[in-house]
Amino acid sequence: MVTEKNDLNQEIETLREVCLRPAKKWGCSTLIWIGCLLMVMGWGLYCYIHQLRSGLGVTAMRDYVSWGLYISTFVFFIGLSHSGTLVSAILRITKQEWRRPITRSAELLTFVSLCFGGIMPIIDLGRPDRIANLVIFGRIQSPLLWDVISICTYFVGSSVFLFLPMIPDMALCRDRLTNCDSRFKKFRKWLYTKMAMGWQGTKSQWHRLEKSMTIMTIIIIPVAVSVHTVVSYIFAMTMRPGWNSTVFGPYFVAGALYSGSAGVILGMAAFRKLQHLEKYITPKHFDLMGRIVLALTLIYAYFNLNEYWIPAYNMATHESHVLRALFYGNFSIAFWTCQFGTVLLPIVIMSFPKGRKIKPLIITCIFIVIGAWVKRYLIVVPVLLHPIIPIQEMPLAWSTYFPNYVEFSVTAACLAGIFLIITIFSKLFPMMAVWEVEEGIKIEHDKQAILELHKQREATETKTIGFQLTEPIKQPV
Amino acid sequence: MKSILKSTSLIIAITFLFFSISTAQSKIEVTIGLSYYKKADRSKIAVALIKKKENGKFVFAKNAKVNFYVIHDKEEQLLKSENTDNHGQAIIQVQNDLPLDDSLYFTIVAKIENDPLYEDAQEQIHYKDANLTLNIDPHDTARLVTAIVTVKDKEGKEMPVIGAEVKFYVQRLFGFMPASEENTITTDEKGEATFVFPKNISGDTAGFITIAARLEDNENFGNLENKATQSWGTILPIIKEPFPRALFEPHAPWPLVVTVSTLFGGVWLIYFFIFFQLGKIKKEGQLPINNSTPQT
Repeated sequence: MVTEKNDLNQEIETLREVCLRPAKKWGCSTLIWIGCLLMVMGWGLYCYIHQLRSGLGVTAMRDYVSWGLYISTFVFFIGLSHSGTLVSAILRITKQEWRRPITRSAELLTFVSLCFGGIMPIIDLGRPDRIANLVIFGRIQSPLLWDVISICTYFVGSSVFLFLPMIPDMALCRDRLTNCDSRFKKFRKWLYTKMAMGWQGTKSQWHRLEKSMTIMTIIIIPVAVSVHTVVSYIFAMTMRPGWNSTVFGPYFVAGALYSGSAGVILGMAAFRKLQHLEKYITPKHFDLMGRIVLALTLIYAYFNLNEYWIPAYNMATHESHVLRALFYGNFSIAFWTCQFGTVLLPIVIMSFPKGRKIKPLIITCIFIVIGAWVKRYLIVVPVLLHPIIPIQEMPLAWSTYFPNYVEFSVTAACLAGIFLIITIFSKLFPMMAVWEVEEGIKIEHDKQAILELHKQREATETKTIGFQLTEPIKQPV
Repeated sequence: MKSILKSTSLIIAITFLFFSISTAQSKIEVTIGLSYYKKADRSKIAVALIKKKENGKFVFAKNAKVNFYVIHDKEEQLLKSENTDNHGQAIIQVQNDLPLDDSLYFTIVAKIENDPLYEDAQEQIHYKDANLTLNIDPHDTARLVTAIVTVKDKEGKEMPVIGAEVKFYVQRLFGFMPASEENTITTDEKGEATFVFPKNISGDTAGFITIAARLEDNENFGNLENKATQSWGTILPIIKEPFPRALFEPHAPWPLVVTVSTLFGGVWLIYFFIFFQLGKIKKEGQLPINNSTPQT
């Protein structure tokens, strides 16, 4: 019994050591990586200032395509942010024990995607200062205002949802990391102390934390669903052929969950490799996440069919212009590559257990994430290029669109910003919820102990029965 | 040493000369389009449209100084100077009593002179001061609109203008709509152009409609316009929907306000409860651990 307890303590100690190790040391490669990201961000900032000074005319957007790469990226980032809701909240609420090592990375992905997803529409404005008009002269009947409200609500909720399970870990960092010899020791001490919120692990504190987490787990799911539904309303509530569709809400939610869960798998794979978490994030986790992505891809494929098959069957005049451009027009290569390469092929690959092994699953998820991004572009741009009143007496260049270097640079800067926050976060805080994994280990340990006890009892009982059976039956006198 | 100095100064002088010539030659070629308008309120305006040549195309020339003159006794009198706007237009109000020549024409000249950016250019117009009046009988069931074009002779008597093409329009929010497919009528020997106003054009909520008659780019009189408001339009009913669904409605429908406020208000209330719990956690962390057992 004592040995078992020692084993458990040793396992927990190893876990803590593994989780806190990356925070102790900032390698040269990390600094180079951060430097590269800052360079990309710097160039993007320069391009954005150029855009601010000279107006949106420096981008490839014109009168007809006024929502281009920026708004496509906005929808994509908001979609990625659903990862935290799915992996963390849904798996937590359904009490899936295997979720424990991957919840933190999923919640972080949600937080950073929302940070940059939220600023993409502001970047798309020629006069970003006018965003204040949404608040000053906001009209509650406008889907744009619903979008602002729901994204802000989701952002606050996601931040709280990320922060709550971090509190006990912050106390651990406060107690362990501030004594070691590390960079920015004073800053770290201040940060961990503030974020630990005086955590001492008392019964009452645990009770409050668990209660808060349960409430947030329940509330964050409808908020997340509402966010992507409202994002879809921006398109669906216009009278434009190609957008004005009743299926857009659930279609966007399904697409968001599908790309978000693929994003989580990529995050899991990256942290597993970089922080040597192979012991905790096992092939079993990838297999289970692969199953989830498979199910979501099937749902997404079903919505895709509904979104395109019904209007394609009718081929109503205005709708047909957009559909022709997608099926065999300028956008056909991108459209069919998305449908076959990032929806149907992943379904085939992930249907087989071998396809859910780590390497093939990572490749599939890379395709899914890129495909989801391109798909958002295909939702936004072709429709804008095919208005109800045809484009006439306009410069030829206005009837086509492909993002130029300014849009690519600013978007790349936002992507670099996402990577930068993730990198800095992973170098300051544990990328697994240490206490949650510890809890999992303890539960597993208790299960093993009970199983052992049962086995022992069974063995003893068998012995006793066997002994009784071997005794000669006494004949009554 | 002297020869080096000489050659250097020669090079500088040649370079300076070259640049002076090239800058002197770099003035931009412009064209002037000059128009004259007599509005419904009898005010007169002259509009100069300046275009410059850029990359082989004519585009609007912004901020070019245009001098407007009127010819009086064969001499130019400066009316006003005006800079062009973003659309290349310089607009001035013209005095009502323009000096006329022997054949009762007035002449307005627009000039670009000594502009640092643009080449000199000029354009002039030569028109008679005509009048366009509208005659409408509001009780006329036939809905006849009569436009009369007249011009004063040497004795100051109004003489009819024969053969002038008058176009009839209806004023809309952002411009003028032709009153019918055949909206051009030529004036007769009395100088009258009579137009039968259609019965199916929508007016405002009370059925009022503004009818405009125009003489456009006439070679003798320029642009003349007159307007009149009549209740000949069909009444545009405002349908008050019980649940207005247009985004431009000034007030949001109350069920929407209640739904959105309840949903998001509920979520934010829960957030505040969580913040309260966090505050409690922090407060409890500051107490000594006596009455509670540490868990980890």
